[in-house]
Amino acid sequence: MRMGLLVALLAGVLEGCASQVLSIRTAPDQTPAADNAAAAANAAAFAEAAAAESAAGPAEPHDVPPPVTPADAPPMYTYDPWERLNRFTYRFNARFDEAIFLPVADTYRRTPRPIRAGIHNFFDNLAEIDSVINYTLQWRLKYGWRSFARLAINSTIGIGGLLDVATKLKLPGEPTGFATTLAKWGMHPGPYLVIPLLGPSTLRDGVGFLADYGAEYGINVVGLYRGGVSWGLGTVNAIDQRANIDFRYYSGGSPFEYETIRFLYVRRRLIEDEGLHAKEPVKKAPVDVPAGK
Amino acid sequence: MMMRTSLRLIPFALVLSAAALAAEPEPPSSPPSSGVVIGLADSAGLRATVFGTPPQDTASLPAKVPLSEINAELPWRLPVPKILWFDAKLRVWFSAQDKPAPLAIVISGTGSDGNTKTISVLRAALYGAGYHVLTMPSPTFPGFIVSASSTGVAGDLMRDGKDLYAAMQEIIAHLPRKVRITDIDVVGYSLGGANAAIVKSIDATEHKLKIHRVVMINPPVSLFSSVGRLDRLFAATIGPGEQGVELLYRRLYAQIANLYRASDRLELDENFLLGAAAATLKTDADFSAAIALTFRLQLVDMFFIGDLYAKTGVITDPAHPPKVGDSLEDIQRDLRAKPFADYFTRVFAPYYLKRRPDATSPSLIASNRLDIITDALRDDGDYYAQTTRNDLILNKRELAWLQDTLGPRIIVYDQGGHLGEVGDRQQVADMLDMLSGSWPRSEQ
Repeated sequence: MRMGLLVALLAGVLEGCASQVLSIRTAPDQTPAADNAAAAANAAAFAEAAAAESAAGPAEPHDVPPPVTPADAPPMYTYDPWERLNRFTYRFNARFDEAIFLPVADTYRRTPRPIRAGIHNFFDNLAEIDSVINYTLQWRLKYGWRSFARLAINSTIGIGGLLDVATKLKLPGEPTGFATTLAKWGMHPGPYLVIPLLGPSTLRDGVGFLADYGAEYGINVVGLYRGGVSWGLGTVNAIDQRANIDFRYYSGGSPFEYETIRFLYVRRRLIEDEGLHAKEPVKKAPVDVPAGK
Repeated sequence: MMMRTSLRLIPFALVLSAAALAAEPEPPSSPPSSGVVIGLADSAGLRATVFGTPPQDTASLPAKVPLSEINAELPWRLPVPKILWFDAKLRVWFSAQDKPAPLAIVISGTGSDGNTKTISVLRAALYGAGYHVLTMPSPTFPGFIVSASSTGVAGDLMRDGKDLYAAMQEIIAHLPRKVRITDIDVVGYSLGGANAAIVKSIDATEHKLKIHRVVMINPPVSLFSSVGRLDRLFAATIGPGEQGVELLYRRLYAQIANLYRASDRLELDENFLLGAAAATLKTDADFSAAIALTFRLQLVDMFFIGDLYAKTGVITDPAHPPKVGDSLEDIQRDLRAKPFADYFTRVFAPYYLKRRPDATSPSLIASNRLDIITDALRDDGDYYAQTTRNDLILNKRELAWLQDTLGPRIIVYDQGGHLGEVGDRQQVADMLDMLSGSWPRSEQ
């Protein structure tokens, strides 16, 4: 059965090769009018938030943690002791994405929007289980309760998670995982790590990912995570996630894409760590140690 | 989950680079960095350049635009260096009408691909007006240099124009048969505007495409004087060299981290970053730094590739070029610190002087001015232009030259800076009138 899937995938890839000089591939339709309306709404929301903030005046001094100063910023170099292997994996991921993952995701994007939304909500709902566990481990019980409420509401009223009723009830989804738990417990990101098929990560985040998978496998909710069904489900989950990511390997054509993505990924995780420890004094980054170490 | 977070980095990258924003560059010895002192553009021009047309002023665009991606393997491509394997094919984008229609080809700006935000707006407007639309990268885009350049050393207006013209022919000849093209027009913005005009002038002697009308949007007049201005902007707002970039990065990191710590967010996402950018981008110096850094980052790739192809040895040792799997971080750092002038003097000029025995450095600079086709621009009524009074890539003399040469076929808007007017109702309406030959309008 897995073989059959592979053949179908390859057929999808090869379809559309018209001539030797050109290969033409249908991309998702653009929706400029809707995009512009969304941008206008976004801008209005920002303006409103800014106005509300200036009306409220500055926050109480004791609410404000000591700020991060430019001297606290990690160096521009990133800790990447496994660079050769990582680069190899990055290249593999780029090729896999171009040949298989992206074309399949583009095909999937042509299914009607309500169906895709249902599938997306379904997987988001399953992930709430892991969020409940990890919010608890992080001792952020307020968020844990919210995830739990979302899980309960969407699994019942939301017909097994197909509808995201909870968000409409002002309970927005904000998933977390074991990687964030490790960060909350004080673990540094560690070496940069490019994971096959998944992409940029760090050792800590990779361990977190495995633990999340292990937890899901262990709980095996309604029998979805083991046996034949798990393969099909995992594949659909991956395609759904890919279809929701607006990223193309090497679309900028830059020879330095590996460096740029590594820099951005690790900085982003470090800033998220700063947020996790916002109530504590800023830890001074050692000057000569690459970021992440 | 993780893949989702990690791959959503590209918007992050865009915000970061467009957002030297948060920086408050204050090189101790420099004068107060108001736009006037920098001498490039006024406040409004800088602001418009960074933020673009506000969504509420955008022309009405169609609900849906079909899009195909075309990857072309061009017969004249030079051998592809192994480390640039991903740039081997030319990627362009095509939106087809389902009936016979004129084709509008859109050429991107410096260092950019054929699917930028600016291009998307132009594509939508043109498609909505009934054109097939083919959007192409700039000849200075890495993917173009590797897949379609006959030299590998980008930046020569005429040479790049010939490569672009050849690529257009190849692509149009191989489009699906059901696409029926009644006429061909070309639109280009920024450097792409100059490219568009040159392509039409080449076509005027070769007649292979029979290009009808050309609209240049915010074109440069002299390539090297425009980039020289941006080099000076970089030096004035970020400071020379890698140190300036590092300072900028540290300020930016601290500002985003503090905004993030103060927020209730659990994830650093695109919306947060956009908000952070809007909250921290305030002064002319911020805007200038954002523009200068964005531009510099676009040139880094072209510099690296030019050196690799020309074997000039400025960046990499021609005897031992970097291999797949080698780290390029130090090279990238070095390049970020180099002004464009270095590309000209150390890669571009040596390469072309060797191949053009009669040329000199000044003659190379002169041959990269739009006035090499002055006669065509003046006498052929099918060249049009749109620009702004506060476009930072033009000085007064250059703007006057454009107005003098094109006469009634140029419109100069009061506001918009560089490309900040693209997509605006008036700009789109004027562009469509120019393309359909109903410009200047009868009442004028």
